[in-house]
Amino acid sequence: MIAGLRISVASLLAAGVLLAAMPAAAHHSAAAAYDETKRVEAQGTVSKLLIRNPHSWVFLDGTDDKGQKIEWQIEMGGAPSMAWAKDGLPIGMAVKVTGHPSRAPGTYGITGATFAKKDGTPIGPRSARGDTPQQ
Amino acid sequence: MTDFTIWLESSALGVWTRESPSIWAYPTVLTLHTVGLGVLVGANCVIDFRLLGFAPRLPIPSLAPLYRFMWAGFVVNAITGAMLFVSNATTKARQPIFYVKLLLIAVALLVTAVIRRTLARELSPGGIDPTPAPARRLAALSLALWTGAIAAGRLMAYL
Repeated sequence: MIAGLRISVASLLAAGVLLAAMPAAAHHSAAAAYDETKRVEAQGTVSKLLIRNPHSWVFLDGTDDKGQKIEWQIEMGGAPSMAWAKDGLPIGMAVKVTGHPSRAPGTYGITGATFAKKDGTPIGPRSARGDTPQQ
Repeated sequence: MTDFTIWLESSALGVWTRESPSIWAYPTVLTLHTVGLGVLVGANCVIDFRLLGFAPRLPIPSLAPLYRFMWAGFVVNAITGAMLFVSNATTKARQPIFYVKLLLIAVALLVTAVIRRTLARELSPGGIDPTPAPARRLAALSLALWTGAIAAGRLMAYL
């Protein structure tokens, strides 16, 4: 009786843990929305900054391979990790960004972004380079 | 509804929680929400597992003070949860899983209250072992509900 009870309680908990852990693993690696095996390079000018919790965003005006205007949407960490961007990424600044591209076709999303000036000089603190946003 | 959630988001509290660059803002509120969860659900787990037959040498009436810990955890999480909701109210108010979480918490609290009354009425003083089947069923239900509430809360970040 007790043994049977123990097994049922254990399986109940295991089911709950699995349910909670599976999407958590996907989120923490950002792998659900972004392809972390690939890197993409983007160029453009900063059009908008959303410094907020839990995740911040940087938007760039850029162009695709065919010269069409596109908007890069770059997902960053929370507000405490973005103090450098207020002065370091003024609106209209031309930047180069490398990071992991979004998976959805036709989108221009990036995460784990590294920022540099047009001449290649890195921008931002070391901790802000190549970080994957986490929650 | 949308007007109300927009108003919440643009309130001073909403803006501060969402936009403050301070480590004492969002990261601390979120951390306290996790600590409160640990205390509330942890204390619940002790009583639930005891009712299910674990740690049989622990006298059940001696666990009564744990309800004060549950209250403390609940108050911390009601406050920090309200702050987290206000900071992104329009988004969270549109998430069905958020209402699933609230419902699971409400039912779990109800079950917790029933277990407490059962303990006070039938199991004190001295305790009854093994615990009667209805109390064991309530304990298993409590564990399932709290696990579900935690899972629903976590899923708010993904769904």
